[in-house]
Amino acid sequence: MKHVIIGNGIAGVSAAEAIRELDAKAAITMIGDETFPPYSRPMISSVLEGSQPHSKLPIRPKGFYNDLSIEPCLGQRATAIDILGHRVVLADGSTVGYDRLLIAAGADPRPVNATGLELQNIFYMRTEAHSAAQVAALPGATKAVVLGGGLVGFKAAYGLLRRGLQVTMLITSGYPLSMQVDPVAGQMIMDEMSRYGLTVEVGVSVTGFTGSGKVAAVETDDGRSLPCDLVIIGKGVLPCRDFIPRGQIAVDLGVVVNEFMQTSAANIYAAGDVAELIDLARGRRWVNALWPEAASQGRVAGYNMAGRQVAYPGSLSRNVMRVFELDVLTLGDANPGDTSGYEIVQSGGPTSNIYRRLVIKENRLIGAVFINEIEQGGILRALIENQVPLRLPATKMVRRGFNFGQLV
Amino acid sequence: MNQVVVHPERCVGCMQCMLACATAHSQSGTLFGATLEQPLPKSRIHVGAGRFNEGFPNRCRHCDPAPCQAACLAGAINRVANTGTVMINPDRCINCASCAMACPYGVIRFHEDPLGPPNRQIAVKCDNCSSRVVRGLIPACVEVCKTGTLTWETVDDAMRRKNREVSRAMSSGGPGQPAVPDGVALLKTIKQAELEIGER
Ligand SMILES: Cc1cc2nc3c(=O)[nH]c(=O)nc-3n(C[C@H](O)[C@H](O)[C@H](O)COP(=O)(O)OP(=O)(O)OC[C@H]3O[C@@H](n4cnc5c(N)ncnc54)[C@H](O)[C@@H]3O)c2cc1C
Repeated sequence: MKHVIIGNGIAGVSAAEAIRELDAKAAITMIGDETFPPYSRPMISSVLEGSQPHSKLPIRPKGFYNDLSIEPCLGQRATAIDILGHRVVLADGSTVGYDRLLIAAGADPRPVNATGLELQNIFYMRTEAHSAAQVAALPGATKAVVLGGGLVGFKAAYGLLRRGLQVTMLITSGYPLSMQVDPVAGQMIMDEMSRYGLTVEVGVSVTGFTGSGKVAAVETDDGRSLPCDLVIIGKGVLPCRDFIPRGQIAVDLGVVVNEFMQTSAANIYAAGDVAELIDLARGRRWVNALWPEAASQGRVAGYNMAGRQVAYPGSLSRNVMRVFELDVLTLGDANPGDTSGYEIVQSGGPTSNIYRRLVIKENRLIGAVFINEIEQGGILRALIENQVPLRLPATKMVRRGFNFGQLV
Repeated sequence: MNQVVVHPERCVGCMQCMLACATAHSQSGTLFGATLEQPLPKSRIHVGAGRFNEGFPNRCRHCDPAPCQAACLAGAINRVANTGTVMINPDRCINCASCAMACPYGVIRFHEDPLGPPNRQIAVKCDNCSSRVVRGLIPACVEVCKTGTLTWETVDDAMRRKNREVSRAMSSGGPGQPAVPDGVALLKTIKQAELEIGER
């Protein structure tokens, strides 16, 4: 049996480990364009912030490929899949044959459409190489602009503030983290960031960058020019799907998979940021581009590839952000646009420094936002994931003493 | 393999386990010394109030597979092969709380720990008293528990004992032996009644 995995991020790595767990002999080849050892992608924000050194990024031993008898094929991208020929085509024209294929190619930063992108000190934030370049550009930088108010934009802004830069965040939507939190929590987060010197401008897009060699200003769609010496673009991600034959593998936003992580093509699986599957809270397909999802999906894909049928019931969005003195936890569908048919229970808010919001539908928890005292978040996640009817009134679940014992 | 088994129906909420746990994870290793330490050692077992105000001792189950391990962003959580204990490496932990969202029991806390890096908050949870067990001691919470809520035994033994207790309590012939000691049962009934009266 020959397994081929495209992508050596956490989804690919977890899949390879799962295959090895079940099958000591199968051949495994991993194709990846990053040559750095398997590492923690989320931790690149800690590197920017200065709380962790770049040297701590690897999450597997140096001998990972060797120890698991994996044939690494690193340093170039797969450019096509030849489904009839059962092989993957690489950038240099060579091919790798497979019996089972996993697409774990992750996501790329969503590109911005603006002029002057070739100027120095304009960065995306996705790879260890990006973070190394960002850190190298810090000396002498004083004014930064961050594009995007999603999770990555936020982490970038937070890191730069911690480094002592003045930071302006430009976002197109109405308030930061609008995909994750409701307006109350959004306001609390924004207030906290502003207290530490962040300027946020909403409803603004960037049309271009100017400067000679190095970026010196960003141009906005309302005709202004904001001086800066460093830019980080964090406008979300897009699944890497350009090499996937559209007619032969179902692709929506991501590569569509069923509960066994199988794509619509025989013997081809997908997992991680590139995959689109049922979201347990939303009840429809969704791309949840998150680390724990990628790790679990990768493992389940690996088991299935190795011949043990394991179902993955669905994905769930979840995140914790620590923003200065605030710990922000979001789970599931925390901010459904149209709230008719939902029960929403809220307590606390800006004045109490603690905020809780539960989103309930048909007596099942489907989403939550917690600000501070987030230790019990996992219990709520389990409730959403297991889709069990609530036995405890929601008003009790937002109380401070809420614990696991109350559910049994 | 022995492990800490929890029998929550016996807990009276005395919280002695918490004190013993914090002491066992202090620098001095003594209760008096521990109270003077900076940072103050904290318990890794958490006695919370259940729905009827009864005590509920909550601690890491060392799940296999461990959701916290899969969720850890920093590769800081691993399982010790021979004991099955899930451990957090304090030097790799980045305090991101990804594990807190993964833990279905809510037993991971975030604070500076006497045994971790100085001046840095990290994720902290039960380590099965590994450093006591290698010295031939049993976990501190079990040693101090007076009601049999926490026991150190194999899961098979615990199941067998539990089965026996339940069947004895159910059998009509003979005096039988209650599954939960009389005193504990009485205390729980009182607490529950108090709460029900209060809510009326
Ligand atoms: C700054 C930042 C902070 C984050 N913080 C968090 C967080 O706090 N919590 C959280 O849950 N998640 C966080 N994430 C998201 C998390 O990092 C991702 O969800 C996770 O890394 C996805 O893993 P993956 O294996 O699916 O994809 P990736 O990690 O993207 O790995 C895919 C790999 O495949 C390679 N590749 C792509 N296309 C090809 C191809 N055609 N051929 C060969 N190789 C290819 C890519 O270069 C990459 O190395 C963060 C991400 C970033 C960037």
